Amino acid sequence: MANGHGVFFTRGDQLLQSTSRRSFLQVMGLGGVIVLMPTVFAACGDDGDGITDPIDEPYTLDLSTDVGILNYAYALEQLEAAYYTIALTSAGFAALSADEKEVLSDLQKHEVIHREFLKQVLGTAAIPTINFNTTTVGTLTANRSVLLSTSQLLEDTGVSAYNSAGKYLTSATNLLVAGKIVSVEARHAAAIRDIRDGANGRLFAGDDVVNAAGLDVKAEAETVLASVVSLNVVTSPLAIGTPANQSRRTPDQTAPAPT
Amino acid sequence: MTTSIIEETIDPQILEMLTARSAEISNGASTSSALTAALALGSIPVALAALSRDVYAQGALPAAIKNVLDFALALEIFENEFYKAVLGMSAVAAVNTAFAPVRALAAAVPGAVASLQQIQKHEAAHVATLLATGATNVFNLTATSFDFTGNRSAQGGGPFAEATTNLAFLLQVAQGAEDVGVRAYKGQVANLMPSPTILEAALRIHSVEARHASRIRRMRRAAAGAPIGVRWSGTVRGGERAAAGGTTLGTVNPTVVGQTFDRIYGAGAGSPSESNIIQAGVNVSALASASFGADAAQEAFDEPLDRADVIAIVQPFFIPTIS
Repeated sequence: MANGHGVFFTRGDQLLQSTSRRSFLQVMGLGGVIVLMPTVFAACGDDGDGITDPIDEPYTLDLSTDVGILNYAYALEQLEAAYYTIALTSAGFAALSADEKEVLSDLQKHEVIHREFLKQVLGTAAIPTINFNTTTVGTLTANRSVLLSTSQLLEDTGVSAYNSAGKYLTSATNLLVAGKIVSVEARHAAAIRDIRDGANGRLFAGDDVVNAAGLDVKAEAETVLASVVSLNVVTSPLAIGTPANQSRRTPDQTAPAPT
Repeated sequence: MTTSIIEETIDPQILEMLTARSAEISNGASTSSALTAALALGSIPVALAALSRDVYAQGALPAAIKNVLDFALALEIFENEFYKAVLGMSAVAAVNTAFAPVRALAAAVPGAVASLQQIQKHEAAHVATLLATGATNVFNLTATSFDFTGNRSAQGGGPFAEATTNLAFLLQVAQGAEDVGVRAYKGQVANLMPSPTILEAALRIHSVEARHASRIRRMRRAAAGAPIGVRWSGTVRGGERAAAGGTTLGTVNPTVVGQTFDRIYGAGAGSPSESNIIQAGVNVSALASASFGADAAQEAFDEPLDRADVIAIVQPFFIPTIS
């Protein structure tokens, strides 16, 4: 999908293809251009010109503050909660075994709890409710395989986001909150991976997410948000207004496209 | 995982900084012994971790940070030696022999040995990474430093002896070890805030332990007759021994076994039980748009545990005294 200096996405599920995802990540690393075709956004921005404005203020994150970082977490939890809630009534869910349905049902409850908890903690500082493209979510829950691979990607991405964001928080209280959530996301990720793994026994913490140093994925917010937006499920103009403290930035080890 | 994949996702600016520093080092610039060790180890991800730390934090580690790393190292050495014993990889022949019965039982369960191998691989990597980051083995732990029966004796015979012969009991112990590791890291992250790169490494180890714990929980749920409180989602429901789920107490000393799981999943001096449903003052079992009750609320958040509480739990498995 790489085309000179740009990577073009017209469909969110292209991100689940390792070749296009890898090109996407290469371009991110080279500071290249990511072009999200108009079909990626189903809704227009607020200024009525028919063009989505990525810096519509209510959805702009200031990652130089703890509030901004918690809003970033809230955005990700909104995504997960919305996905799993729709997933529960999907054809993909209906195709799961009873044991697998228990997993997805648990995940839905947990993510909704995370979302509502962060919303309450943020109070008037919370970003608004994010709007989702239910049609695209539908394609990502249409069968057992895409449901499980999308769930895996979301959970691994959540782990990578929290693992990276923690170092930017200035309050120990906020760090503990993030810590209490990220280990649950990691449990989720391991469970989904284990379902997909059958009897092989390694994917729960596979070599594609845990490196030779024994370290799990981590990804800076720019990487995570671009990945999320490219899934084509978010229709609100979520963007970073102020980046996190760049002196603390570390190399990414991103959540891989499920294979 | 190959180095080319890592390098492709490195921010070019960071890679430049790391490369410049690496060049300085090979040109004779002084460096921490931990970094030298990591480079000698030849493991590029480990070296990157050490280089990052070197780039961001020149000079000796602050004592508060080192203390955390030393503590984490002790726990990782314990876990590594435990899984090596189970897998018959220990340097201590007698302990390999002791675990042979349960090892054979595990081999009959599809994927079980592979999972234990994957977990052990990570624990060994954590030992190496912590050393490369600046931890030292302050308790001088070796393969002979442990009694996995929980009797602080080379002769064993402690309350957890049946882990060598009973697969369900072994998995329960392994689950407890992973879950207490998750709680231990979580209880220490605030102490690592002065070093963002070390904090991040700790978070990235902490989430791996949570993956381990989840997988073991699923292995236990897969056994015939396992209770539904041991969730397929790998999350922790309830508190105290109930949170271990379907707890087998063994016959040697059921009281001590029960108390151990009560501590692993219970309240500590500065931390709540795993059954806690109040997060940041918010009752998460009864939120306006998320009123799922206590079970889901307990599962949705994991709790920390202070160093002293963790040590009280694990000391019986360490022959030397740790602190």
